[in-house]
Amino acid sequence: MLIVKLAFRNILRNRRRSLLTLLSMGGGFFLLCLTLSMSEGSYSNIINIFTQDHTGHVQIHHSNYLERPSLYKTIDKLDSILAIVEENPQVIGVTPRIYGPSLAYGKNKTFPAQVIGIDTEREAQTTRLKSKVKQGQYITSNMTKDGYYEAMIGYSLANNLALTVGDELVLISQGIDGSIANDIFIVKAIVGDANSYEKMNVYLSLPAMQQFLAMGQGEQSQAHELAIILEYQQLALSFAKTLQQQLSSSELTVAPWQVVESSFYNSMQADKKGSYVSMGIIIFIVSIGVLNTILMGTLERTREFGVLKAIGTRPMSVFNLILLESFILAIFSCLFGLLLSLPVCYWLATSGIPMPEPIDMGGIVFDTMLGEISWYVVLLPSGVVIASTLLVSFIPAMRAAQISPLKALQAS
Amino acid sequence: MSLTLRSSLLFILLMPFSLCVQADENGVALLKKIDELFRSNTSVATMKMTITTPNWQRTLEMQSWTQGMEDTFIRVLSPRKDRGVATLKKDKEMWNFFPKINKVIKVPPSMMMGSWMGSDFTNDDLVREVSLVEEYHVTKTELDDTYQLTLLPKKSTVTVWGKITIVVNKADLLPLEQNYFNEKGEKIRAMTFSQIRDFSGKKMPAIMTMVPLNKSGHKTVIEYVDAKFDSKLKDNIFTLRNLKTRF
Repeated sequence: MLIVKLAFRNILRNRRRSLLTLLSMGGGFFLLCLTLSMSEGSYSNIINIFTQDHTGHVQIHHSNYLERPSLYKTIDKLDSILAIVEENPQVIGVTPRIYGPSLAYGKNKTFPAQVIGIDTEREAQTTRLKSKVKQGQYITSNMTKDGYYEAMIGYSLANNLALTVGDELVLISQGIDGSIANDIFIVKAIVGDANSYEKMNVYLSLPAMQQFLAMGQGEQSQAHELAIILEYQQLALSFAKTLQQQLSSSELTVAPWQVVESSFYNSMQADKKGSYVSMGIIIFIVSIGVLNTILMGTLERTREFGVLKAIGTRPMSVFNLILLESFILAIFSCLFGLLLSLPVCYWLATSGIPMPEPIDMGGIVFDTMLGEISWYVVLLPSGVVIASTLLVSFIPAMRAAQISPLKALQAS
Repeated sequence: MSLTLRSSLLFILLMPFSLCVQADENGVALLKKIDELFRSNTSVATMKMTITTPNWQRTLEMQSWTQGMEDTFIRVLSPRKDRGVATLKKDKEMWNFFPKINKVIKVPPSMMMGSWMGSDFTNDDLVREVSLVEEYHVTKTELDDTYQLTLLPKKSTVTVWGKITIVVNKADLLPLEQNYFNEKGEKIRAMTFSQIRDFSGKKMPAIMTMVPLNKSGHKTVIEYVDAKFDSKLKDNIFTLRNLKTRF
């Protein structure tokens, strides 16, 4: 096509200028791509950490348990609900939990503790709890030979109560039948450390918890929460929607991690919006440079455009020609930028930047900042660079299109 | 709890005396009699408490011992998993004992308005010394079959109730109804007495029903199965040692 040939010819006519424009747009692309990669990577890392740590990707509760927890809002017929969830091939693991805030007795002190009943096998397959056992052994649902159930306690709680593995733990709570739940448990393990999520928790096996709180056992099994792990966290939103539809007849609410950890999610979104602003500034600066180049180019060629129009070229064609030149420059600069940024992003995603001081989040040491490679990280900067270039070329192109041949040829 | 468990138990002792007394116009005198009905000696009783809430319903069987107005000892007999749970009240102090974990827990002042054993009676009800005449001003109105006593707390009285009204049956001078109002004059709790029965020769209402009006669906019913009065009680009953006894 003639116009394409013309555009290429014009670009290659002034190589130095074209190259400089290319470099500046490419540089802008590189910056954008890297910023996005680091931001996405860091957040993905954090999300993976807490979803695999204890939250899971999707959670199921009774009605509004998430906003207003209550001992009485239970998921009944646990086995059949578990079966429905496990039918979905996307589900890697699902585990039930029961929550009972209690008063814990140590050697001489008492302390409030969150007591969580877990299905020991399922929990080990769904979250990282088993790997966080620091002392002792992960609990089973059996009783000790003296007839006590086993318990795991968090690091800080163990310190506060001065208890270690093998000691007796006394718990008092309220049962679901109104009775005062009280029982003795044997500490089998200490989990986590001073900073982890588990630090003030007590973990009991599901049968132990159900007996403690007088909740349904066996076939009438009840729980407060089901935590589901999928292949990766991006699946959470759509999976939650489909599962909710599957369970629409019950009173259960299915929530993706974005809802479960809504405060984190909201602050993450706000932070991302903030970084969009800074990226916008980068693009703005780059675009000004591009505007300068194209404007100069157009002004230089005033005479040429005058001749073009004199021989009958439509104004629209002139306009399109200039826009096409910019577009081609933008495409090549994106390709150039990709060439620069992909290796760097790849390195960031695999090795990452080691942090001078490791941050401990939820008991998992977070010592490198990771990047991420995804379509989003590559396509968004491309789109932004191309769009901004075209936008910026608009005015020079308009001006060129409206040149009067008479004035143009007179001026020189 | 002042006029409730305690009162009914103590009623029994003083019933014969009260029947001899003439009801007079003065409300203070009537209240004094009701008060004095509870100035008692001892009682040993077995009772059933049924608690109803929107989420659950429970029936506890208990045995209780009282001495004067200061000492109360209550032990839960059933259901099986709560058997042996006990409460001791001496003067103004109160303790709970849980046999399964072998722990005695003292009830601190902050928990006094908390419910006792999950019922609609508070720890404070159990503990509070009953001397209505000393703590409240009383006025009496007479209706066809009943006397209505209106009790307003005296300046020096520390209580959450702004007003208590008692409806007393003229015929037997036994209370029919007792209503508790807060400082704003809103009725917070209503207690009704019913089923006058004979307990070891004394007539008293066997069933007390407490309904809190600020929570819907809640009700506690205490039914006296049997009661014995004025028998000699051992000294060691109202002790922490007895509280912890394996039973």
